[in-house]
Amino acid sequence: MPQEPQALKSDERNPTASTKPRIGVFVCHCGLNIGNTVDVERVARFAEGLPDVVFCGANLYTCSEPGQEEIKKAVQDHGLNRVVVASCSPRLHETTFRAVCRESGLNPYLFEMANIREHCSWVHLHDREGATSKAQDLVEMAVARARLLEPQTEISVPVTQRALVIGGGVAGIQAALDLADSGFKVYLVERSASIGGRMAQIDKTFPTMDCSICILAPKMVEVGRHPDIELLTLSEVEQVEGYVGNFRVRVRKKARYVTNACTSCGDCARVCPQIAPDEFNAGLSTRRGIFIPFAQAVPSSYVIDMNMCLNKEGIVACDKCLQECKADCIDFSQGGKTLYLDVGAVIVATGVDVYDPTPLTEFGYRRFPNVITSLEFERLINAGGPSQGRLIRPSDRKTPRKVAFLQCIGSRSTRSNNYCSNICCMNTIKDTLLIKEHWPDTEIKVFYIDIRAFGKGFEDLFRRARREGVEFIRGIPGEIVEDPDTNDLILIGENMHLGEWYKYQVDMAVLSVGIEPRNDSKVLQHILNLNTCKDGFFLEAHPKLKPVDTACRGVFLAGCAEGPKDIKDSVTQASAAASRAGILLTKGQVTVEAVTARVNPELCKACGACVRVCPYHAIRRNEETGVAEVIEASCAGCGTCAAECRFAAIHMRHFDDHQILAQLEAATREHPTDKVVAFCCNWCSYAGADFAGVSRIQYPTNARIIRTMCSGRVHRDFVRYAFARGAGAVLVSGCHPADCHYINANMQTEKRVRRLWKEMKRYGLDSERLQLAWVSAAEGQRFAGIMERMSEHLKRIPEEEILKTKQAYERFLKAGAVA
Amino acid sequence: MTVQRVWTLFDRSQLYECYECSRCSGSCPVALSLKGLGPRKILLKCLQQGQEAVIEDPMLWYCTTCQVCEDRCPQRIPIPELLTGLKNMASRKGNLPEKIRFSVEKIAKTGRSVLAFRVERERERYGLPPLPEVNTEEISRILAETGFFRDLAAIDEKP
Repeated sequence: MPQEPQALKSDERNPTASTKPRIGVFVCHCGLNIGNTVDVERVARFAEGLPDVVFCGANLYTCSEPGQEEIKKAVQDHGLNRVVVASCSPRLHETTFRAVCRESGLNPYLFEMANIREHCSWVHLHDREGATSKAQDLVEMAVARARLLEPQTEISVPVTQRALVIGGGVAGIQAALDLADSGFKVYLVERSASIGGRMAQIDKTFPTMDCSICILAPKMVEVGRHPDIELLTLSEVEQVEGYVGNFRVRVRKKARYVTNACTSCGDCARVCPQIAPDEFNAGLSTRRGIFIPFAQAVPSSYVIDMNMCLNKEGIVACDKCLQECKADCIDFSQGGKTLYLDVGAVIVATGVDVYDPTPLTEFGYRRFPNVITSLEFERLINAGGPSQGRLIRPSDRKTPRKVAFLQCIGSRSTRSNNYCSNICCMNTIKDTLLIKEHWPDTEIKVFYIDIRAFGKGFEDLFRRARREGVEFIRGIPGEIVEDPDTNDLILIGENMHLGEWYKYQVDMAVLSVGIEPRNDSKVLQHILNLNTCKDGFFLEAHPKLKPVDTACRGVFLAGCAEGPKDIKDSVTQASAAASRAGILLTKGQVTVEAVTARVNPELCKACGACVRVCPYHAIRRNEETGVAEVIEASCAGCGTCAAECRFAAIHMRHFDDHQILAQLEAATREHPTDKVVAFCCNWCSYAGADFAGVSRIQYPTNARIIRTMCSGRVHRDFVRYAFARGAGAVLVSGCHPADCHYINANMQTEKRVRRLWKEMKRYGLDSERLQLAWVSAAEGQRFAGIMERMSEHLKRIPEEEILKTKQAYERFLKAGAVA
Repeated sequence: MTVQRVWTLFDRSQLYECYECSRCSGSCPVALSLKGLGPRKILLKCLQQGQEAVIEDPMLWYCTTCQVCEDRCPQRIPIPELLTGLKNMASRKGNLPEKIRFSVEKIAKTGRSVLAFRVERERERYGLPPLPEVNTEEISRILAETGFFRDLAAIDEKP
């Protein structure tokens, strides 16, 4: 049943600015995760002494049921009206504790977190004293902010109950079918002329040896005729606007030049004079200018490749296919179309590319005809392939008697891709068994480093291959040389287990190539504002608990676009993504965080600066008065308007000026000159700092991170205030320029920092003390490196410099400077 | 002899990247023809048994530093650098083959590792100018300052 968002009570516990804050602080041990490094009891005692703190407790696990109960009890017993939890990252448990607040009758926006795990205990494992005093600072900053928090009301917006699935491989097909079967309208966008993807190219699947296309084709047909699926082939997503539940997608649909009346009889292709390499057969055969990608293609229709066709720009030089077609379905005049789709959720299932081993010259791929890749092998052994399933080697089309497989080509290497491609071991074992099945006398050698047969039924298949007489030799050949007379190949290398060198002559060598992100995945990354991990695959919102969500709400991942995986895992993930999207769509409405801008009309001077910087055009000027007005449903909450306003007329809910200044004040209360104040945006750089914690990358303890939704929220006066308070250095960090989660708000950040640099130079200050850095959610190492460098720089700053800066910015100390 | 451990000449942590694919040994022209120690085995022994396990082995000196192992190493480990470091260690332990020693002494004296009179004769026959003069003084100074003569003397003192 769709559930109404719980109404917020406005009683005495949802105070306004006038009621006196009663703050409760809960410090978490997180087992030994925090407790081992940070002296939690000391932090708790310290918190007790902070102004307005009326209760302080320490828990082993605050997020556990008893921990949550303790918060609820303390709210009741001590009449708390603000809650601070010092534990992990708000990106992990903010929702949990907000829910606890709500259940305690407290507005969830009266809750604040101090991140003493990812940003403290995990990154200062060997410095108990430093980590403890940093934790105290972080708690003090959180309490300072909590004191000024205000209750907020979330608005809920309707959700468009339709979904978009990008990519028509097995993952996209599964996701589309699952969603459509639950009753939602689905648009399935596929770039090529047919759905099917990589799975359609493969001959058999491991470990069950099912015929790949035989199990896929029925699903493809189902997609084609499902009443709730609109299949858009030859189409690409060009632009996505909007927000969770309300995306507007621009799709470019290219012309097929063949109408739906096509019966796929093939008469047209027989007369077409143009010939091109067949992509589906990995270039091992040819197709015509008019062609059908493969026999089982859905939609089952021919398509004209206009790059090949002789008819261009309206000039018809050849009409053989048109003459031949009895169904009259060829239409040279067809043009592309631009479609606009309104959807509530998006599933990204764009799949992978296959590694091209040409740069590894020692294996002679492309130089020696009998060195082929595993994908080419799949087409050679496939009954629908260029040799009708007869295994032949390319040089003389004879059936090879000796075949070698080389593992880990393009995987697990700093020369190609760093990661294990997951599927190649089992794929090779399956391929050896396929050969053995038809040509049992073939000698097969597999050269490997490790065989990773980890999945259900995988080890059985590996054992079967060994029993069939496949030789597994540990040690990849150093090189392959060719006998130029026979085109036979000689593999030279070391057999590691025997400690001996070998020279094997084989008829054909198969390079078991890895898989890698689509070479144009950057395009989609920018369109949807996704993050990628360092290997280039799309990054999930949480590696364990939100494995198919992305940082962009309403966008989900399925299949190899998220990381290398086999068919079973792709299908599983697709169903998971469909189910996650289904939750969103079923509810019919979604609450949007109450982090939006509001204009104080009395302070607004109608200058229009905010209107110019808003990336969402969510601010307009009142036609009569010229005063700015925010369209709340369009506001995404980046806060770049508030950072641009010189009159403090924009009130950024939950990330207000005075809240951030209070954090700054607390951070710089003691030994400010030793500290680095870091402004981190919620989506990339804060997540990057979290990632440094999760990876246990150590950096100095002097970083004091302040979270904003976007780096565009950082007002120049924040930086000036920090310097006036004597802060040693300031870092402003955000998403990489094209990855901003608020379209391009971080461009404003860059402008502001540049202006500050100029200003500092004018005052004769060391502008290196202010740094601007783009850190993505996967760049923990980079974040730690920046902290390391800035701390090094701090040591070289003379006292006079600090004094000079303090004087230069003294006027910003007066609390009213910004607010 | 100031340098005692090969790890002062080569960053040990680079060896942790090795996952034993054996492409280096499979590519090594010397290991292939002599069936001796390949780069992979040297690397593994160094890591697990320490430098002593390899520097006594005369096979070490057959490495020609052709760099193919490094070119093909999927983890870009600079194996020839390790081998050069090991040769340094080996020579200080007295494992310096007579022929190598002869060559180096030749370099110190004439600036060339081989006897040049034959080459000169050939060049004359083809009407080519004689080989350019070598600044032996400079070479001797380099060898002296890098401690070569001192090391050599230390080797001679050993039984």
